[in-house]
Amino acid sequence: MSRRLPARRRFKRSSWAISIAAALAVIGFIGAAQWNSSLARQVFVTSAQRILVSEAEQAQRLQESLRAQIEEAEARVRSFQERDEGSRSAQERLNQQVAAARLAAGLTTVSGPGVVVEIADSLNPPEDGQLSNYIVLVDDVRDLVTALWASGAEAISIAGGGPGAPAERLVATTSIYGVGASILVNTAFLSPPFRIEAIGPDGLYDRFLGHPSFLTRVAKRIDAYGLQFAHEERAEVVVPGFIGNTRLRYGAPLSEEE
Amino acid sequence: MAGRMAQLSLFAVALIIGLLLVGQLRSQAPTIELSSLSAQELSTLIETLSTSNVELGDGLADLREQIREYESEEARGLSTLDLIREDLERFSAFAGLAPVTGQGITLQLEGSFEPANVNDLIYELRNAGAEAIAVDDVRITAGSVAVRGTSAIEIDGVEIDRFFEIRAIGSPAGLQSALERPGGILRQLEQAAGATVRIIAETDIAVPATERDLTPQAAQPVE
Repeated sequence: MSRRLPARRRFKRSSWAISIAAALAVIGFIGAAQWNSSLARQVFVTSAQRILVSEAEQAQRLQESLRAQIEEAEARVRSFQERDEGSRSAQERLNQQVAAARLAAGLTTVSGPGVVVEIADSLNPPEDGQLSNYIVLVDDVRDLVTALWASGAEAISIAGGGPGAPAERLVATTSIYGVGASILVNTAFLSPPFRIEAIGPDGLYDRFLGHPSFLTRVAKRIDAYGLQFAHEERAEVVVPGFIGNTRLRYGAPLSEEE
Repeated sequence: MAGRMAQLSLFAVALIIGLLLVGQLRSQAPTIELSSLSAQELSTLIETLSTSNVELGDGLADLREQIREYESEEARGLSTLDLIREDLERFSAFAGLAPVTGQGITLQLEGSFEPANVNDLIYELRNAGAEAIAVDDVRITAGSVAVRGTSAIEIDGVEIDRFFEIRAIGSPAGLQSALERPGGILRQLEQAAGATVRIIAETDIAVPATERDLTPQAAQPVE
C-alpha cells in the first residue's frame, strides 16, 4: 500500500528537485560556454602566431622582472641617500631637491582630487562593417589624455584590462602607441577597458568635458559608435610613480653654468 | 540519512558550478589578448618590448653600479653627497627641469598642422626612444601638449608657427628610421597636413629646460 506524503513534504521534495535541475542547467550552460570559448581560441591562433605570442609573453615577463628589479634598486639607492653621514644640512638640502625633482619627474606616487575616466569598445554590432569604428583606438586615448593635460591635470595614469590592473604613470618620455586593438603605454601592453586617472585642481572635471581635444574627435566617436564611456569626479585619486629607466643614453644634463 | 545525502549532493553541485564559473570568468576576463594580434602587430610588439628591455637592462646595470659606489663610499666612511648630486641632475634632466645636450635629430617642418598632428609626432619620437624633446624653444614635459590656441597651435602657452623645428635627443639613426618607415608618421603628415619635413642627424644638439613650474599643487606625495 502506497503511503501518500503530507502535502508540505511533497512540496519540499519537488522544490529540491527544481533546485537540482536548475543547478544542472547552469552547469550545462557554463560548460557549453567554456567549451565554445576554448574552441574559438584554438581555431584562430595559427602555429606561427603561437610562436610570436610566446615570444611576446616572454618579453613581457622579462620586462615585468626588470621593472621590479629597478624598483627595488631605486629603493636601495634612496635608503643610502637618506642615511648619508656627510654634512647634515647639505644632505638635507640635497635630499629635498632630489625629492622635488622626483615629484616633478613623476617618479613619486601622488594623491589628490581628480577625475577617473573609463573607455571601452562598443557593444553595438558594427552596422557599416567597419569594425575599427567600434573599438577604442590609440587616438581616442591620446585625445582624452591631451584634454586632461590641457585642462590642468598634474598627474595622469592609464591602466588597461579591468579593475585591479596596474597603472602606468605618464612622464616626459611616455609614448602612447597603438598595436592592433591594444596600446602600449610606456612599455606596458594594455588592452581595453582603459582607465585613465588624473589629479588636478578644482574645475579639472568640467574643463576636461568641455575641452576641444575631447569634443572634437573622441566625444563624437563615443556618440556615433557607442564606445562605452564613463567619467567621474573624485575627492581622492591615487596615481602611482613611474617605474622604468630614467637614465639618458644619448644625452647628458647640461648644468646651468655650461 | 536522506537529508545528509541531499546536503552532499548540493555541496557537490555547488562546487562544480563554482569551478566552472571561475573557469568561464577567467577565460572571458579582459586579459591581454595577444592571440588577437596579427603576425605583423606581434612582430612590432616584440621589437618594441625587446628594445625597451635592453634600455631597462642598461638602466638596472647603472643602478647596480650606483649601489656598489654607495656601498664602497660608505665602507670607506666617505660622504655620498656627490652621488646624490648625480641623481639630482638625472631626475632634473628626465623631468625637463634641466637642459640636455647630446646626439639626436632636428626636424624642420612646414604645413597646415592640427594640434593632434603635433602630438602624434611627439608620441612617435618618444616611442622611437627620444630622451628629451623641444618644439622650437619649448621643452616637452609630461604635460606639454599641443592644443588649438586663439590664433595658432600652442604648447605650454607658446604659439607654434606654420614653420617650426623639433629637436629630439636620442639615437639619430633610430629616430630617423622610425619617422621614415613606410606608412609611418611622416607619410601621414604629408597626407593630412600637406607637410614638408626635413630631418637632420645631429652629433651635438641642446634642448632647453622647461619654463613651466612643474611643482604640483593638487597632487601630494604619498608617504
